[in-house]
Amino acid sequence: MAVLNKKKSKVSGEVPMSSTADIAFLLLIFFLVTTVFPKDKGLAIVLPEQSEEVAVSQKNILHLIIQSSGIVEVKRGESQQIQTMRPQEIEGLWRQEVAANPNLIAAVKTHPDAPYKFMVDVLDALHSANAERISLQILEG
Amino acid sequence: MGMKGGFQKRSKASEEIPSSSLADIAFLLLIFFMVTTVFPRDRERPINWAEAAAAQKIDEKTKNILNLWIQKDGQIFINDQRYAMEEVSQVIAPLYAQSERALVISIRGDRDTPYILMDQLQKELVAAGVVRVVFATALEQRMQRERR
Repeated sequence: MAVLNKKKSKVSGEVPMSSTADIAFLLLIFFLVTTVFPKDKGLAIVLPEQSEEVAVSQKNILHLIIQSSGIVEVKRGESQQIQTMRPQEIEGLWRQEVAANPNLIAAVKTHPDAPYKFMVDVLDALHSANAERISLQILEG
Repeated sequence: MGMKGGFQKRSKASEEIPSSSLADIAFLLLIFFMVTTVFPRDRERPINWAEAAAAQKIDEKTKNILNLWIQKDGQIFINDQRYAMEEVSQVIAPLYAQSERALVISIRGDRDTPYILMDQLQKELVAAGVVRVVFATALEQRMQRERR
């Protein structure tokens, strides 16, 4: 019958365009919310105030002397005994030492010609071992 | 003939505002703002970062962080401007006062900078009254560290 053939689908052949704007805004908002700007990383330290000079008993000091070759000489307080080690080994050393004496202060003395990275390595090891009492100095004489 | 007169002629313009171009407007706005946004950052200087495994994110607002670059040859840059070592404390002190003592100095030193320069720099910062300092480093992977 000819009547049946006249019936046409009412669905439009085109993709509806009116929601594209909503999609665009959704994308915009999604990226606005999820964007995170990279934060700088580093080893934080609090420098002493200018007038601040505290006398510390020698037995509470662990001297870490960084030579220009990167070798670290460890000297405990009063004793003249020197132990040499690599910066990476200091983390373990500090954990042992601080367990024996909780008031210990790390005095990091760097040779004037030593590259900065060796000081960072030592500071990194101390930070890794959760050391809080750190003093940065330059090796004199 | 079958003419019905001119009164039935209607405007063919739709009454609705065309909304199909709304998406284009949104994209135009998006692209416009993406292109025009400038972040107030100083230029990166060519330094080799020192690496540290214990490096942590600086817990301070970006506006309170001042980058201080020190190159291997001892050149110091603050806000894209070169300064001599002796000028550092004079430059930093007013900035520090302006920030109401909230300023954190991020020292971005080349890994091969001789330590004597870093020591002088620390003394300059102490003279300016700054106490909070971060030695900015790249993050060292533990794996990489164990291999050394």
